[in-house]
Amino acid sequence: MTTSSRWEEFKASMQPRIKEWKFMFKRVQESPLSLVGIAIILGFVILSALSPVLAPPPYADPFIIPRDEEIAKLSPLPTPPTIEHPFGTTDQHYDIYYACIWGTITAFRIGITTVMVALMIGIIIGVAAAYYGGLADEALMRFTDIIIAFPGLILAMALVIAIPTVFTLNVSFILVVIFGLTTFFAFITRARMKIKVILLIIFIAVLASVLLYPLNLRFSLNNLDKVLITLWLIGWPSYARVIRGEVLRVKNEDYIEAAKAAGTSDLGIVIKHILPNAIYPIIIMASLDIGSIVLTAAALSFLGLGAPPNYADWGQIIQRSRNWIGRELIRYMHVFLIPGIFIFVFVLGWNLLGDALRDVLDPTLRRR
Amino acid sequence: MVRKLGLLTYVARRLILLIPVVLGVSMLIFAITMCFPPTIRALLYIRNPQALTPENIEGVIKKYHLNDPFYIQYFTWLAQVLQGNLGWSQTASAPVFSAILVRFPATFEIIVFAAPVIIILGLYLGIQSAVYKDKILDHITRSAAIIGWSLPSFWFGFILMAVFYGYLGWLPPGRLTREVQHFVDSSQLFTKYTGLYILDGILNGQLAVSWDAFKHVILPATVITVIDIALIIRVARSSMLEALSKGYIITAKAKGLTQKEVINKHARRNALIPVTTISGLLVASLMTGVVITETVFGFGGLGSWAAQSAQQLDVPSVLGFAMFTAIVFVIANLIVDVLYAFIDPRIRLA
Repeated sequence: MTTSSRWEEFKASMQPRIKEWKFMFKRVQESPLSLVGIAIILGFVILSALSPVLAPPPYADPFIIPRDEEIAKLSPLPTPPTIEHPFGTTDQHYDIYYACIWGTITAFRIGITTVMVALMIGIIIGVAAAYYGGLADEALMRFTDIIIAFPGLILAMALVIAIPTVFTLNVSFILVVIFGLTTFFAFITRARMKIKVILLIIFIAVLASVLLYPLNLRFSLNNLDKVLITLWLIGWPSYARVIRGEVLRVKNEDYIEAAKAAGTSDLGIVIKHILPNAIYPIIIMASLDIGSIVLTAAALSFLGLGAPPNYADWGQIIQRSRNWIGRELIRYMHVFLIPGIFIFVFVLGWNLLGDALRDVLDPTLRRR
Repeated sequence: MVRKLGLLTYVARRLILLIPVVLGVSMLIFAITMCFPPTIRALLYIRNPQALTPENIEGVIKKYHLNDPFYIQYFTWLAQVLQGNLGWSQTASAPVFSAILVRFPATFEIIVFAAPVIIILGLYLGIQSAVYKDKILDHITRSAAIIGWSLPSFWFGFILMAVFYGYLGWLPPGRLTREVQHFVDSSQLFTKYTGLYILDGILNGQLAVSWDAFKHVILPATVITVIDIALIIRVARSSMLEALSKGYIITAKAKGLTQKEVINKHARRNALIPVTTISGLLVASLMTGVVITETVFGFGGLGSWAAQSAQQLDVPSVLGFAMFTAIVFVIANLIVDVLYAFIDPRIRLA
């Protein structure tokens, strides 16, 4: 087959999808609210790209908030906005302007990594459950049910305090796990692997783990890392459920039967034929969850379980206002008001876009 | 008769299905406890403060086999939990179970005020918004719902407190004013029948206490309502839109029924069904909301206790609270499912 005919074939196969995208794009354009959402998100992207210019970092780690130690010694109370500190300072004189600007990157980092990892876990579990069915399906879905049985934030609270601060991983242990998983997958997907190859893999694994045994990887996790890991662990069940449904829908189509008859391996069928037909709704759904993920992370920070006290994070700054619950709150309003506006607008942007897209994507409501 | 039997078998089936989920919840909680060293895990088995000395903790570790393999530990732990022993809460200086019981009425007071407003107003707004789709009312309701959905609850709570207490001085934080709290705790004239201070105030004939308690509940309940109402509005709107597009609506219209009759008699009942399922989710959302709003307002209920325990690394309290919410959530879902089957015969006959 020549390249050009392949290209033609590819173009023909993409036709319906392009038409779909054009339709979606048109619907999004028609809805002014979603345009506002896009504008807000773009604004935050630009803000985070410009943060080194807008708030030049004084330390090597840009996420450490600068602080006036001289003034803090005189009086630890917050100062209202001045020319030097456009948004004022918190108690102990951390600069709120700096925290808000660099907090944008923290928010994106929390949102995007969480969505990516949770999506990956969700896809693996959902696809495995739907594709293999039977006992695997039952076990994986009941596990999903259990995680869903907890209100997210409350499970997150329990997990954040349970994750150890210093995390030691034995290198040989990791190797054994990786090799074990490879062999297991090879076995499950019934790849035509010779016994010799499997024995060789096991031999290498044993040798490597014996040689590398004394090597340990030590991770020390700060509270923000713990929040991230927690959000990864609790975020995936809803994706797993949705993708499972989608895969079940696609699984019995004729082209899957055809691929099976042609001798494609299970993994090949999943990657080439099932995922492309099942994954779009869930990817969009997940990416629009960024707003609510950032909200949960901010809530954890607010409860004092999130970012450390000198870290540029919106929720962490607001948490400082808990020191003046009562009448004093109004005197130091700037401490919670400004970072809160950042969180609110950020989440609002994602939710506006999400609300519009949900209408566009929902096949029962569209084209009407 | 057949109808009744069908419902009964359905409920029985649902109750049996509940067991694996509850067991699963306990296993997950147990797995979390295994992240901690035995000295901290020992706190999960202690019932009184005398046992907190290092020597006694060693004794607890021996007695409950805390250095044994996890499957042996799971059963000893589960036996304790089934006896109602969830460990010792250092934050509350009481056993976790009684700490939960003591604080539950306070939290319930907030929910009693928030939940009816959320459900009734949310349903009304959602349905109206669907009926007048793309009209002004729809746009306003939808925008308000999205804004409520995006508000960080703690931030919104702070703003309300700054305005209504800091500026106007009307609605103070906390659960009761200090003098009233003192009166409630120590006076002979006041008996705590239920722990719900508004109700107790009426029962004791002390209306001043009820009024004071009510003033303290308004703001937390408002925050929870504004945040959670968006969920109901969104679901009610989309299910009403779906119901309105069904064939029987067109038939009803073709029969010459008025718009009002079509909506009230044909569309609304069917639109309510999906909303019942979402009420389970609402319970979870309320639980989460309570943790944050109680912390914001310094309201001494379950939520603020849980938040404080998490901050002080009081493991038994946090895990006990997590287990409590999970069980409440599971039971709420069961009730919703049964209601759902009661409303819609198609479910239980399937």
